[in-house]
Amino acid sequence: MTRVLGWLAALGLLAGLAAGFGYAPREAVQGNVQRIMYLHVPSVLTAYLAFGLVLAGSIGYLATRRPGWDRLAGSAAEIGVLFTGLTIVSGSIWGKPTWGTWWTWDARLTSTAVLFCVYVGYLLLRSLIEDPDARGRYAAVVGILGAVNVPIVHFSVKWWRALHQPSTILGPEPSPIDPAIGLALFVNWIAFTLLFAYFLSRRMEIARLEEQT
Amino acid sequence: MPANWGYVIAAYGIAAITLFGYWRHLTRRARALSARPAAKTQAA
Repeated sequence: MTRVLGWLAALGLLAGLAAGFGYAPREAVQGNVQRIMYLHVPSVLTAYLAFGLVLAGSIGYLATRRPGWDRLAGSAAEIGVLFTGLTIVSGSIWGKPTWGTWWTWDARLTSTAVLFCVYVGYLLLRSLIEDPDARGRYAAVVGILGAVNVPIVHFSVKWWRALHQPSTILGPEPSPIDPAIGLALFVNWIAFTLLFAYFLSRRMEIARLEEQT
Repeated sequence: MPANWGYVIAAYGIAAITLFGYWRHLTRRARALSARPAAKTQAA
């Protein structure tokens, strides 16, 4: 199953590159630099998914004390940090030619940086506690509290004045994106979701092996 | 608007290196952990 997911993710990423660089047109205002969107937006959506699973795993562990839930939460958090990091770096690179700066303390950027730090802290906490049950319990509390930041990141552009553009997808209004650009974004989002599922499956298997040794 | 391909290549390049690096890390870690019980058996 994991191997199949890996191949599907690889094919999806190739399809995503073809869609983003071959099929989608050059954006009229920003030019080619807009193609960073096919990396930036799927990265943050994958991070949202990961932290949603951290929340589910944390609640599951506190309710049942089954180690599988803790493995899910810990593994998803690690991959979520990876994709949040990619979101911040790709956004910064996109920001330089479009906003004229690599970084600004805008509501969206700041809340995303806080999200990153919270889950890095979550991983640090996990690494500091030896006892599996105590680690699972303390991490679950942080995992549940940390998830509060996900809607703050997403709605920050609505709640505060921000340099970052408002949501063009996952918003209440129909998306104004050109259909070809929307399709390329969708293909990349599927590819990133498959890659996340593949990484999660492998990371959870490693966590299981670590518990046995 | 200039082409700005340099920024695009930098963003995708960093993403490719990061994702490939993480995949390699997972592969090596899984291999090391799978080999551990076998090593114990040999030592015994």
